[in-house]
Amino acid sequence: MSTSTQAPTPAGPDPAPRPAAAERGDSIGARALRAVLTQRITLLAVLIVVVVLSYVALDAGGYLTAPYDPDYLSASLINAVPLAMLALAELLVILSGRGGIDLSVGAIVALSGMVFGFMYGQWGWPLWLAVVATAGFGALCGALNGFLVAYIGFPALIATLATFYAFKSLAIVVNQQSPISTPPIQELYSLTRSVEIPVIGGQIPDVPLGIFTFLLPTVLIVWLLLARTTYGRRLYAVGTNDVASLWAGQPVRATRFGAYALAGLISGLVAVVTVAQFASARPDAGVSGNGMALPAITIAVLGGVAITGGIGRVAGVVLATLLIVWLNAGILLAFVGNEGSQYQLLALGVVLVAAALLNGFAGRRYGVAD
Amino acid sequence: MTTTAPPTSPRPTRRARVLPPPIAGQELVLVAVIALMWVVLALTTPAFASAGSIQPLLVATAPIALAGIGMTIVIITGGIDVSVGGMMMVCAVVTAKALVAFELALPLALGLSVAVGGLLGLVNGLLIAYGRVHAIIITFGTMNVFLFVGLQIFASRTVNGIPSTLQFFGRGVAGRTLGVPHAFVLTLLIAAIAWWYLRHTAGGRHFYAIGGDAQAARLAGIDVRGRILAAYVVTGLLVGLASCFLIAQGTSSLDQSVGNGKELAVIAAVVIGGTSIMGGRGSVLGTVLGALLVQTVTSGVTQLGWPSQLSDLFVGIFIIVAVGADLLRERARRRRLRAKGAAA
Amino acid sequence: MTSTVTSSRPGAGPDAPARLAMTGISKRFGAVRAIRQADLVVRPGTVHALVGENGAGKSTMIKILAGVETPDTGDIEVDGSPASIRGTSDALALGIATVYQEPQLFGELTVSENIFIGREVRRGARVDWAAQHAQVVDVLDLLGLPPRVATATVADLPIATQQQVSIAKALVGNARILILDEPSAILTDAEIDVLFTVVRRLVASGVSVIYISHRLDELFRIADEVTVMRDGATIGTYPIGDLTVRRVAELMVGGILTQEKAVRAPTQDTPALELSGLGRVGAFHDVDVAVRPGEVVGLYGLVGSGVSEIAACVYGIDRATSGTITLAGRQVRPKNPGHAKRLGIALLPANRKQEGMFSFQSIAFNISAGHLDRLSKAGFWVDRAAERTVARDLIKRLAVKTPSEKQAIGAMSGGNAQKVVLARQLVSRPEVLVLAEPTQGVDIGAKEEIHKIIAELAAEGTAVLVVTSDLPEALRVADRLVVVRGGTTTVEFGPDATQVDVLAAAAGHDDPSDASDPEQDS
Repeated sequence: MSTSTQAPTPAGPDPAPRPAAAERGDSIGARALRAVLTQRITLLAVLIVVVVLSYVALDAGGYLTAPYDPDYLSASLINAVPLAMLALAELLVILSGRGGIDLSVGAIVALSGMVFGFMYGQWGWPLWLAVVATAGFGALCGALNGFLVAYIGFPALIATLATFYAFKSLAIVVNQQSPISTPPIQELYSLTRSVEIPVIGGQIPDVPLGIFTFLLPTVLIVWLLLARTTYGRRLYAVGTNDVASLWAGQPVRATRFGAYALAGLISGLVAVVTVAQFASARPDAGVSGNGMALPAITIAVLGGVAITGGIGRVAGVVLATLLIVWLNAGILLAFVGNEGSQYQLLALGVVLVAAALLNGFAGRRYGVAD
Repeated sequence: MTTTAPPTSPRPTRRARVLPPPIAGQELVLVAVIALMWVVLALTTPAFASAGSIQPLLVATAPIALAGIGMTIVIITGGIDVSVGGMMMVCAVVTAKALVAFELALPLALGLSVAVGGLLGLVNGLLIAYGRVHAIIITFGTMNVFLFVGLQIFASRTVNGIPSTLQFFGRGVAGRTLGVPHAFVLTLLIAAIAWWYLRHTAGGRHFYAIGGDAQAARLAGIDVRGRILAAYVVTGLLVGLASCFLIAQGTSSLDQSVGNGKELAVIAAVVIGGTSIMGGRGSVLGTVLGALLVQTVTSGVTQLGWPSQLSDLFVGIFIIVAVGADLLRERARRRRLRAKGAAA
Repeated sequence: MTSTVTSSRPGAGPDAPARLAMTGISKRFGAVRAIRQADLVVRPGTVHALVGENGAGKSTMIKILAGVETPDTGDIEVDGSPASIRGTSDALALGIATVYQEPQLFGELTVSENIFIGREVRRGARVDWAAQHAQVVDVLDLLGLPPRVATATVADLPIATQQQVSIAKALVGNARILILDEPSAILTDAEIDVLFTVVRRLVASGVSVIYISHRLDELFRIADEVTVMRDGATIGTYPIGDLTVRRVAELMVGGILTQEKAVRAPTQDTPALELSGLGRVGAFHDVDVAVRPGEVVGLYGLVGSGVSEIAACVYGIDRATSGTITLAGRQVRPKNPGHAKRLGIALLPANRKQEGMFSFQSIAFNISAGHLDRLSKAGFWVDRAAERTVARDLIKRLAVKTPSEKQAIGAMSGGNAQKVVLARQLVSRPEVLVLAEPTQGVDIGAKEEIHKIIAELAAEGTAVLVVTSDLPEALRVADRLVVVRGGTTTVEFGPDATQVDVLAAAAGHDDPSDASDPEQDS
């Protein structure tokens, strides 16, 4: 699979749990089964291969409406950009523990998108400044969540449910329910085109530009932050055991606050991406239908992030996104019309419940908590 | 001891003392806030105080309050159900299609919707009680599955020409007796039953014990799994009934947005009503008041001529204020106990 | 109303048949013989104290009675007839009720509901609140609590009242044998008085009480008989009149143990850490202790004496409300653990699982947590090479048994995990090291090693304060031993103190003429 080489699969932080290799003389088969059942990364990688190969087989049998080839897989990655970024935002927040969760990311996307629309589309700010300011605005929204959760002590579910309503409402009211789609905004659509990768571009398909401008930098920075910086260490520590973290002299509140603010910042960046995708700053972006928060949380959980905090890796989230995106891409080819998008819901739900149940089962069977 | 004077007879005083007061602080505050809003709206907007404005408000409160009663029980046990919106869609579309196809009588339509809801609740309950996975993850999953099922039944088409069988619970004249909407009365009736059950039966109290400490509850001989299963099934049944209200409130057609985002509206009503998201504490009375408050805000914003979406901002603020007040009360309670301990 | 529970007042004379007779009880856990041929005979209507040092086998005896553990050998008779206790429900059916140290109650339910949860009195579909209430009010009255407590929410009650509620819960089950497991540990003196009044009333109504306590002075106020346990065996049962605090301490310890100890001299005379008049409302008061560099000072107190709260205050977890903390001559007020650390204090928390371990993280993670400023470049990038080096060095130095520093700490044994948490305190050599219960739940081998490490640290010039409720440990590691009792520091012992002296002082020696060793003033 040439395409799978492009999947950014950075290793997780060292402190992540590593089930000890079977010391007893287990057979290779038993050890492989154990690895698949207990290590989320392995499981996801296997599933991705299974999904892609199945579709390739279906394609060869002529059951799909269009070819499921590397070009298609690559093009479908554009859907991974907002999904993976928001799932990374949820990763940060859920890692911070004490029932950490952020229901408001979709609403922050909507509100920041409108702010970006004003700054870039109406006030004529330079693009870089508007992007930075939008990210900053998103961080501010996230900081409100962080303040309520970390400093006041609100349960995260409640605080972010409240701000979800508030941000969503403001996004719609701020421009009298109308989208902003002035010429500068419309031209942003070019950001979503696919480009050829230099040097090796001839051998592999073109890749959506958003992967390079937004997704990869976010993945890289979040990974560095979690795996290589003192902040990442503190976040894992706070999420694992905030009492022990306090006794170890770490700033528990500030660390947890930071997770929410960063999630807001990433949501601000996603706002720019969605404005470019729609070629319009839409007040209901991120909150229409099922919203963006629920799929992002689903992806994070599928990626092995423990809802109790302290466990979760960037690689898991990225692989889970790829699995869902390529699974969905195939579903669109297997079913016609709206059927496709409906089966995507089914796939997401079944995969999530199955993964969660499997987690519980593997935990009891092998005595490890993934 | 005389038994002649009714106000001082031993029976009532004894009864009054065996249980904590039936209405807690948060509920009284909610009543006061709602009353205040009604007065202010009546004074500032000419139309609000009319029956034509209050009746739709009560009708619109009913489905959220009804689903909220189930959600309250679920949250008391320490769980949550974010699949309520998906359940509503399935129940509503199944019932609407059946009404169109078979012209069901009212009881049959109700029974069908409630049965479908109960079935979906059973799926949630079984997975949560026996799967040992946190409720929020399971219901995120089942939400997607329910949406799929609902959309499949819709088959990409709006359901049109729904007969007016359910108008007994609708907005129209047929939905009222003496000016009071039936949907709201039925909701109050069910809330009263739920309130009684939660307050006066062993099964009801066990929900609270499980939310307080599931492990200790198991050691005390409580059937924890059975109770958790029951909480989700009841939620499903009530969502089924709420879905009938939604059909009745609409026009003769039902589109695919039915139930959209309702899980968050229901959770908001429960939380504003004073039920603790950490489990072990809550009341259905508060939830009904919470739903009424949310609808009053929605209605009030429209009446005042403000953009209707602004109501969500106020809902958000109300959640923060309601839960914030609860946090402060908890903190005060801990401080008081510490002071008492130090004084001893 | 007292008389309604049991009207008969059985004779407590020696001829009355035993309420409970346990004979030849043995219990093994793996290779450890927790109990060896223990005997316990409790007469009706008496308070029977069960005493012994930590690990003497008291709690196993209690668990066997409560049906949590089953004995390997031995017979149990209740009121003269053989009894088989195979589970907690068997124990309850026999009228054996246990009140554990920490009340296990549902905070949001009322007292009445807590007492009847899972066994509600029903009338038709509903709970018969009036009937439950009547029973609860009777029992509360017996305990000296007003009827309004029955409808109070448990979370609104002080901890002492919550404990009385636990006792009430046991009594409503018609207990004939009530086991109180260190009930006084979490109570203030005034609350203990109330508890004793309650116990006396219960005994008067015919209940037999098995009373477990570390506070030996209490026994002389409440117990009729005392059974002493040591090393899993029952040494004997004595009428309280035949005993003194000192005699009980001697029986518990089993003679005077002498241990060889290296005599250390502090390297400087200025204390590295000095607490003077330190107090925190509701926890402790007027605590005076000084630790000089190169010296190990033990702060010894029984559970509930306030000793653990003192450690929390020094480390900035709680704030002191009076007195001063002085570090090397400079007065400080630690605001939080981070601040205390910057001031040069390191602390090993008492509760390893809750306060010490990041359980599913690696050893290296656990060691570097709290030292990330040092083990990083520009305070931002974790210096993973330095982290690895430090972790490997400490693993070697503390003899942590592990194949690599990448292992998760959660899977390690108690002793190894404790060494890792201790290693965290040693990353930068602290001026002042506070160790709270350094060897709790740790095997003998690791305990020895941890004691050796403490000695090494002192030799290197660190001022070490060991806060512990483990007396042999306190004697073993400390150059000087300060006893905490009733929330304040009392006497101080030098290196040649004996267990009996210290135990008698800590457990409340009411008769100074009985003391053979002179007490040194601090």
